[in-house]
Amino acid sequence: MELPIYYPLGLGALLFGLGLWGALTRKNAVRILMFVEIMLNGVNLNLITFGRYYWQANPETAARAPILTLFVMTVAAAEASVGLAIILSMVRNRDVIEVDKATMLKG
Amino acid sequence: MSGQFWTFIILAVVTLVSTYRMVTASLITHAALFMALSFTAVAGIFLLLQAEFIAAIQVLVYAGAITTMVIFAIMLSGLRDIKQQQRERITLWRSSPAVLVVGAVFAAFMLYLYSTANLPAGGGERSVVAVKAIGADLFTTYVIPFEIASILLLIAMIGAIILTAKEAES
Repeated sequence: MELPIYYPLGLGALLFGLGLWGALTRKNAVRILMFVEIMLNGVNLNLITFGRYYWQANPETAARAPILTLFVMTVAAAEASVGLAIILSMVRNRDVIEVDKATMLKG
Repeated sequence: MSGQFWTFIILAVVTLVSTYRMVTASLITHAALFMALSFTAVAGIFLLLQAEFIAAIQVLVYAGAITTMVIFAIMLSGLRDIKQQQRERITLWRSSPAVLVVGAVFAAFMLYLYSTANLPAGGGERSVVAVKAIGADLFTTYVIPFEIASILLLIAMIGAIILTAKEAES
């Protein structure tokens, strides 16, 4: 394995940072959801990298990283579907998509 | 340098550039398409890390399903983002330096942790994890999390239908 472990780990960290930047900068709720997906993707990259370098040699632990990543993807898919449904009903009922205008809970 | 190294560098550059363009894109549909490109490049990196199953799931779920769902949500929310792109663009460039610093500090902190961590040398013979082994583990050791995940997906599906369905009775 010629590729040092720090390269994919660094890429995951940079993806997470870029996603954080986008999620905190934008106001459109759909965009924020997209950047949360990007952040989760960086986390998945870290999981797969650690599994590749430390777990794959042992047959007993080899399947752990893909299974863990699979669960993260399941939760991400559930989160995206429910989040987009909430955004759609927010647009339909209140006609807002910017998160700073969704102040229905403000006292 | 080996072919593996250069393949990684090319895929990493595609990932980072498309994610950066996604942050700065003024049209939200462009951002969704750049997100699909970023996911596809990360699937290539998963292939490079010998996780074929996860690469296939990445293409199916992220680049396929989630991108389609996001584009549907953009279309159903009436494209109001286009009218406000100019104003949002101004706020993006006015407020981005502080947030960019937050993201950069976070990434730099993680890179610092990785570079100073005393990681053990991962030795030994590595072979590709077969999908068969993943399935066997998933249905024996991890069967309870697997079932919980399926219930979670069912609840998410029902919740999404209830939230978006128009009131048929009225």
